[in-house]
Amino acid sequence: MATTTLETFRCMMCGHEYQESVEKGEDKERSCPKCRSNSIRHLKKKAVSDQRSAKTT
Amino acid sequence: MPSTYVLNMNDCLGNNPIACGKCAEACEQNAINYDDHDEILTREIGAIIVAIGLDVYDPTEMDEYGYTRFDNVITSMEFERLICAGGPTAGHFVRPSDQERPKRIGFVQCVGSRNPKIGRPYCSNICCMNTIKDTLLLADHYPDVQNTVFYQDIRASGKSFEDMFQRSKEAGTRYIRGLPGEVEEDPETHNLTVTVENTTSGSLERHELDILVLSVGVQPPKDLAKISSLLTLSKTSDGFFMESHPKLKPVDAPTRGVFFAGFCEAPKDIKDSVCQAGASASRAGALLNTGRIQIEAITSRIDEQACMKCGQCAAVCPYGAINWKKGEVAVVVEAACAGCGACGATCQFDAITMRHFTDDQLIAQVRALLELEPQDKVVVFACNWCSYAGADMAGISRIQYPASNRVVRTMCSARVSEEMVLEAFRCGAPVVLVSGCHYADCHYINANRQTAKRMQRLWDKLEKAGVRPERLQLEWISAAEGQKFAEVMRQMEELRKTVTMEEIEHTRHALQPKHKKIPEKKTATAGAR
Repeated sequence: MATTTLETFRCMMCGHEYQESVEKGEDKERSCPKCRSNSIRHLKKKAVSDQRSAKTT
Repeated sequence: MPSTYVLNMNDCLGNNPIACGKCAEACEQNAINYDDHDEILTREIGAIIVAIGLDVYDPTEMDEYGYTRFDNVITSMEFERLICAGGPTAGHFVRPSDQERPKRIGFVQCVGSRNPKIGRPYCSNICCMNTIKDTLLLADHYPDVQNTVFYQDIRASGKSFEDMFQRSKEAGTRYIRGLPGEVEEDPETHNLTVTVENTTSGSLERHELDILVLSVGVQPPKDLAKISSLLTLSKTSDGFFMESHPKLKPVDAPTRGVFFAGFCEAPKDIKDSVCQAGASASRAGALLNTGRIQIEAITSRIDEQACMKCGQCAAVCPYGAINWKKGEVAVVVEAACAGCGACGATCQFDAITMRHFTDDQLIAQVRALLELEPQDKVVVFACNWCSYAGADMAGISRIQYPASNRVVRTMCSARVSEEMVLEAFRCGAPVVLVSGCHYADCHYINANRQTAKRMQRLWDKLEKAGVRPERLQLEWISAAEGQKFAEVMRQMEELRKTVTMEEIEHTRHALQPKHKKIPEKKTATAGAR
């Protein structure tokens, strides 16, 4: 079962910081929810839940 | 289905020794061989057509339709078996609970399709027309049945499909725009009550039915991941195989010599599958009949003496074009190398040279363009296929953007090594942009994922050195996004203006290369030579 973690990202263009659930092994293009820039820096991770509980979040 | 008989050895009386043998006696062609067994055959081949088909969606997880709870809720595949002359009821359509012929039949569309909540956002392409065909069939065989189709959109876009849809409506089928929210069963009669919001009239409706058919979608076959790994094929976000180019090479896999046919590439009907199969066979035939193949001029070359046998290059190659075994020097299979350069940018020991895009050539470009007044320049590394073409698009569209950018073209953004970016900063660049194709558009399967990973490392490295990491930016710009290229250039110019001369000077010193530690293994090997 794939693990989902809540991870923090920072946009290197506008400085906006946000958190997003990330499924292990996912292959996804990221863009800033605020300015749409692709300069997204991955800051840290925090294990949250497995796939089942992630569906409820 | 094979058109030949197969012996079911579980039910056979025995073949060692032969207990019955009647089938062998009856076969005039002597086609029965009891000693035959499964075996693995090794063949040398020049092209592969991948046609591994599809799996049908299992609606068990969508329990709101009661598939696991009510006998009279069936899938479209089960419906096909029920109305098939060779099926369990010899073609007589009866409902499972009481073997009576149903008169009120409901169809629910998009079960397992166009539903992002269950990870299937794509349209399965075939279900609408299959349901329309079923309603016509029922109306033809049983004129007294009342068919009701619950749908969100009817997609009848093929040749004569709209005509079929109209005929189905004329035959009395009711089409209700809205998917059922709830299905209930009467425990005595086993009739079903479907609650649905009719989005055309805006009313909540309840329909009593004798049987409900779930028009299930399709999904990539379960063996797809195995084949994908075997042939280094990439997948789209919906899990099907990705073609080399959606318009120009729609049946070619990114791995040369591999072609697709049918569902494994995307959901499609029989006609499209046959067309694609013909095209794939033709492409494979063209490849095999030339007698010789053309390979890319831009390929990697590994310096055997410098290779530290770490295998990192093999790990990042999207084509599996680098052969490496632990403890052995990596070897490039040039026929398979597409020239993205991800390996060259990853190699920490300068053991890989990209023909026509060598490290020396690219770094020389960086130095040359920052030779004069570097503080006024924005260094842009742009991939050949998308970002560079995006810049071209901005130009030919006469879109205005600041003239401070200086573009270094690479075949793929994955070719841009850490050293190239750091060298740009050392030469006084205030800001650097690395740009490549969008994830879905990468011309080298998924090489640009290496770019994204490398950027994370570079941002960490810059921060550690006391350099503002924001001075390094990443953008995915497609060939059609001239507008975006111009907008990014304007943003980069704004960013450039925030960088002071003091910052630039500090960066030059902070990023000075440290003396490279040469691993002992390399020295020992060199000494032995």
